Amino acid sequence: MNILLCCAAGMSTSLLVTKMEKSAAEEGLEMSIWAVPGEAVRNHIDKADVLLVGPQVRYMLPQLKKLGETRGIPVDVINTVHYGTCNGAEVLKFARQLVTK
Amino acid sequence: MSKLNNILENRVMPVAGRIAGQRHLQALRDGLILTMPLIIVGSLFLILGFLPIPGYEDFMARTFGDAWLTKLLYPVGATFDIMALIAGFGIAYRLAEKYEVDALSAGAISVAAFLLATPYQVSFLAEGASEAVMVGGAIPVALMGSKGLFVAMLIAMISTEIYRFFIQKNIVFKMPDGVPPAVSKSFIALIPGFVVITVIWLFRLLVEQTDFESLHNIVGIILGKPLGVLGGSLIGSLVAVFLVQLLWSCGLHGASIVGGVMGPIWLASMDVNRIAFQDGASDLPNIFTQQFFDIFVYIGGSGATLALVVAMILRARSQQMKQLGRLAIGPGLFNINEPITFGMPVVMNPLMIVPFVLAPLATVIITYIAMSTGLVARPAGIAVPWTMPPIIGGYLATGGKISGAVLQLVNFLAAFAIYYPFFKIWDKQKYAEEQGTAK
Repeated sequence: MNILLCCAAGMSTSLLVTKMEKSAAEEGLEMSIWAVPGEAVRNHIDKADVLLVGPQVRYMLPQLKKLGETRGIPVDVINTVHYGTCNGAEVLKFARQLVTK
Repeated sequence: MSKLNNILENRVMPVAGRIAGQRHLQALRDGLILTMPLIIVGSLFLILGFLPIPGYEDFMARTFGDAWLTKLLYPVGATFDIMALIAGFGIAYRLAEKYEVDALSAGAISVAAFLLATPYQVSFLAEGASEAVMVGGAIPVALMGSKGLFVAMLIAMISTEIYRFFIQKNIVFKMPDGVPPAVSKSFIALIPGFVVITVIWLFRLLVEQTDFESLHNIVGIILGKPLGVLGGSLIGSLVAVFLVQLLWSCGLHGASIVGGVMGPIWLASMDVNRIAFQDGASDLPNIFTQQFFDIFVYIGGSGATLALVVAMILRARSQQMKQLGRLAIGPGLFNINEPITFGMPVVMNPLMIVPFVLAPLATVIITYIAMSTGLVARPAGIAVPWTMPPIIGGYLATGGKISGAVLQLVNFLAAFAIYYPFFKIWDKQKYAEEQGTAK
């Protein structure tokens, strides 16, 4: 499964990426997780199964949802508490729920 | 829900969301980002040219000859000095992308239109002559950099609007069936491109009949001056920082949203300082540049939250705050503070919003006073990335002045003093909660 994350500069989401990768490894899941700045999503979304958006750039959600809809890729904002505490396990769970929904 | 949260949720958020989602502002912000890697690379050469080591200049002159500095700064001329050209392309590209039309063509047309608005003339002072003459046949480098930035931005918007209008209305050359799609695609940009070039051309002919002589002069007076006042004043900067903090208090990326408007202004004033610094001027003209905010005001990220993180590490009693401090210190040193804003949280937390707004306002004022009195060196136009850890950041941004590093320390302590009492209250609440659940 390929999970794409985005925020303003792709930096704080990259923090979360390392935590999510760790949880994925612990659960023995084969995952590719990466973070990009908002403006680069367009070039990455085709490789992703799900797009997760940092809460601080949730104003981009309408645009990104549109982008996702045309490709059948679910897009949603990450829960702020999980985001703030870098809760990789919970965000990973959220991503998997979005894909299987 | 408290009253403050109510206002934030119902008044600030919807407006902020609309502004932030505005496609021209987004294109502006995203397009300008294209110049950043170049400018940072240029800054490296700039730093190497002005290393504050005694005897450095002599050593370099002895080793590489008298012209060493000129040669060392060649890359500066190809990075800083063409920022308008690159920005013009980037902004048009990003805007076209948002309209879902061919971005590459839009970018190329925008660059052509920008050059069309620029007279191919440079002033030249011949040896022995007393008056400079205008010489044709040369693209003026001065207008390709920060001086031409606003013209490039404007033309990128106008040309891309025209471009997408024609494409979306399907006013394009239509090729008969059987022509390969790649071939017919190459003709699509012809009509809109022709219209863009003609419009700017007519505009230039018109302007040449007036006293302004060139579009660059008009934009400089109508747009550049007022924006310079807005971006270059203490009040304007306080308002900008207040808005950034207000937006972050709602959990929105304030710096990114406000930066869409203020970014070009601060970038231009940064470059004015760079040119003065490079010429060896002892007094740099601007205080409020991008680095004023990134490096001196926002130590630890928007809100100057490194002080708060340190307070957590040193003084927290609750487990929650202790853990958060440990989690947030690493990113905090690189000015990334989402663990604090969302994890503590500061967002929608009326108690913590107070120091979160006050601390950076205080550091703006302290930095302004320190720099306007000459106590601390002004930012030298070196594009230090916002992720640069403090102390090093202040030293580099001022062109290697210890005073810059000291100011960061002072600002850090000021922020600490502001955060501390609020942090203690919050920590006490969390501690009480933890003890309560433990019993």
